[in-house]
Amino acid sequence: MAVATRTSAPHAVLDHIHPEPESFVRKYVFSIDHKVIGIQYMVVGLIFFVIAGLLAEVIRVQLLHPDGRFLGGEQYNQVYSMHGSAMVWLVIIPLVTGGFGNFIMPLMIGARDVAFPWLNMASFWMFPPAGLLLFGSFLIGAPDAGWTEYPPISLLGPPGTSMWCAAIFLIGISSTLTGINFLVTILKMRAPGMTFTRMPLFVWAQVATAALSMVATTALAGALAALFIERQFGVPFYDPAKGGSPLLWQHMFWFYSHPAVYIMILPAFGIISEVLPTFARKPIFGYKMIAFSSVAIALLGFMVWAHHMFTSGMVPWLQLPFMILTMIVAIPTGVKIFGWVATLWGGSIHFSSAMLFAVGFILTFTLGGITGVYLAAVPVDLHAHGTYFIVAHFHYVLFGGSVFGIFAGLYYWWPKITGRMMNETLGKWHFWAAFISFNCTFLPMHWLGLLGMPRRVAVYDPQFTFWNQFASVSSFVLAASTLLLFYNMANSLARGKKAGPNPWGGRTLEWMISSPPPYYNFKKVPAVLGLPYDFGNPLPYLGLDNPQAEAATPSQTGQPAAAH
Amino acid sequence: MAQLVKKPKTNLGPGFWPVTIFLAVLAIVSDYYVYVTPLSRFLPEAAVPADQIDALFKFLTIVGNAIFIYVVGYVVYFCIAFRRPKNAPANTIGVQIHDQPQLEFWWTLVPTLLVVALAIFSVVIWKGLQQTQGDVLTMEAIGHQFYFEFRYPKLKASVRDEMHIPVNTPITLHVTAADVLHGFWVPEVRVKADMVPGLVNTLRFTPTTIGQYRIICTEYCGSSHGKMIAKLYIDSQQDFGKWFAKEANIAASGGGGAAVALTTGQKDKGQALFGQKCSTCHSVGPYNQIIVGPGLGHLFNDAEHKQLVDGKDVTPENIAYILHNGYQGQLNGHVAVMPSAQANAISNEDIANLTAYLVSLSK
Repeated sequence: MAVATRTSAPHAVLDHIHPEPESFVRKYVFSIDHKVIGIQYMVVGLIFFVIAGLLAEVIRVQLLHPDGRFLGGEQYNQVYSMHGSAMVWLVIIPLVTGGFGNFIMPLMIGARDVAFPWLNMASFWMFPPAGLLLFGSFLIGAPDAGWTEYPPISLLGPPGTSMWCAAIFLIGISSTLTGINFLVTILKMRAPGMTFTRMPLFVWAQVATAALSMVATTALAGALAALFIERQFGVPFYDPAKGGSPLLWQHMFWFYSHPAVYIMILPAFGIISEVLPTFARKPIFGYKMIAFSSVAIALLGFMVWAHHMFTSGMVPWLQLPFMILTMIVAIPTGVKIFGWVATLWGGSIHFSSAMLFAVGFILTFTLGGITGVYLAAVPVDLHAHGTYFIVAHFHYVLFGGSVFGIFAGLYYWWPKITGRMMNETLGKWHFWAAFISFNCTFLPMHWLGLLGMPRRVAVYDPQFTFWNQFASVSSFVLAASTLLLFYNMANSLARGKKAGPNPWGGRTLEWMISSPPPYYNFKKVPAVLGLPYDFGNPLPYLGLDNPQAEAATPSQTGQPAAAH
Repeated sequence: MAQLVKKPKTNLGPGFWPVTIFLAVLAIVSDYYVYVTPLSRFLPEAAVPADQIDALFKFLTIVGNAIFIYVVGYVVYFCIAFRRPKNAPANTIGVQIHDQPQLEFWWTLVPTLLVVALAIFSVVIWKGLQQTQGDVLTMEAIGHQFYFEFRYPKLKASVRDEMHIPVNTPITLHVTAADVLHGFWVPEVRVKADMVPGLVNTLRFTPTTIGQYRIICTEYCGSSHGKMIAKLYIDSQQDFGKWFAKEANIAASGGGGAAVALTTGQKDKGQALFGQKCSTCHSVGPYNQIIVGPGLGHLFNDAEHKQLVDGKDVTPENIAYILHNGYQGQLNGHVAVMPSAQANAISNEDIANLTAYLVSLSK
């Protein structure tokens, strides 16, 4: 019967709305609503961001002096290991997939929830325990061999290293399940008429990311399980003295962790691709190129992992395919950047906080991408590997890229998520403070590394003192600038002006419903007639809940009044 | 609603071509500066692959710099030129252009060609690194927590934390590690290899500039990773010959390791180190205050023990000798074992500091 109903009157099924849960626990704690889960990810992720950021400041305090007066070698090693681990697994990945992916992606495709809401809840609830496990390792001796935990030294590391394995394993399972969930959601639950080439670019980014999470994370899980078993039960996987191979870990780890870089950056690409057209008031330039380049980057991302291991020891000829494939990644990445730059051309650009961060992202990420090509070239990598040049490169990609993307996303979707506006003036101060202090922190690290400063050191050669102090002081400003964001968020929740459904005049589906969105998202699932980015044309949607929505008109864009 | 407030005067907008030309000039001038500036001005090139690696680095910088200037330049220019005027309504839209296949074709093709050029250049340089320039001096470097050990053919004992090589001699360096991962990097040589236990990696280079350089560990290896730095001496053939003869002599006389300069010892540092390394077995009281070994507080004014454990006179040099080589033999009818500096993981500098401290105790 149900089948017959479905075929004869699809809308009868589509229009059925489940009632909203009423108990506090089902509504806010063990919720299966993708929006609540998305907010949960954001809240927990931002808390971990604060902790991981403070750890970074401890690193910079230590490096104020070449002889490292602040911490001993052992504690220092724990601090940077935990900073890296937390930023990758507890902050950026959960925020860009679990946070923005959960809240925004289903709204963008006109779905009422993800495909497997209970699985989604289960994924989220692995996240806080994983964080507690990870930070809890400080109590028994935190891991100290860097976020990469290369054996054999990680086999000898403090007891907390096993907790680290368990924590990352758990967050890995969560990430894999979210990948499956998102992939099925996007493949099966798009609104009628939303073909692949009508999907918003953020959704394209989530497709590529979900596929990466689903496949790559399993390799990490295997590697972690083996490390845990070897540490706890002495089964030799990695210890060369007992017949294991340290390089086995490196291959397995990077088979995951290189795609993980794209898991962290592709959703940020997606955010930028939404913010730019909205504030330039014009279609994204080269939609298909940007969409397909995400997929190309994801596919290439699986074939380049050993470029992290050029100095580790491999058959020399094997360096060549990894080098050339890595260089090829520059092509789709360049195509994306050129598309964003061209989107700015001829626009009617309004510099909201979100737009400032998106433009800042283009600049910083471009530099991070260019230095990536240096590192792809084996002969140059032989010099630069394991130095501060690498540290500079990946902070330009992960902070100047992913974190700036997260900031842009927060300013952009905050009104949608909370129903209230943030203070734009404060937001702009945040951008300028963050952008300048970010560059002052990480730019000097390029030449520090090239001139001979290795990474992961608690003490360094006195010739590098000035630029380290410069970077440290800048990093303190960077940390302080983040307080502006947190103050802005708190202030907005308490006193922010009501946002209305569509304060920026966005055209993707999430802006067609009220802010914050109702429990069911869409009373009737709209039909999609075209791409969302045609600012000169009427909206490409049929059957909107509120057809009079101020759709393409930014109601409060940029008026300072929005701040109050 | 859909009215264009700012209609570009030309197809590409006001000032597009002047800006493009300005950026071209900027790119050419800065690239020319990169081209003519030798990188050795910033970091000397001390060996043969360094110049080739620097050439590739320059090529990358020239290409990357031009791309960076254009991206940043256009972003800044578009942001200024296409900013919505303050008095324009919020719903003013931009140019409704979706794509431009020709443009997209070119900006895909040009980077592709650049990548091909870069790949070819990289492979050529890479091939140069693989070639053996003859097998004149083949030696080994072994990473330990937290020092480098160097082994030379025809030298019985190994050398710690000092690597001497003769200039203009092709070196084949096999690297490995004794305990955990380490890295071997000399910034002035521009090459690096991980030292992996159970695996031998090979570095080839030909030193060209006499001087003293730093060998830096570049894989995390434990609490003192940042302090794991050794010295590389690129010597003239003559100096290398002298050094080698001296080492061979020391090795023949049963010792090993580079000479210790005792005059530079600092007793404060020695005292701190004594607390970490020695106090498990030795007190700083009189001889009879035995923990595992005898107390070392009265070495120079102990009437009952006028000789060191190996029967030699009590002198700073002989103390340093035991600290360096350790001792294994009889003491008061028991087997006594004093670990070597290598086993204790102390450097030559540490030995000097400890000796200074022990001397100061008896005064």
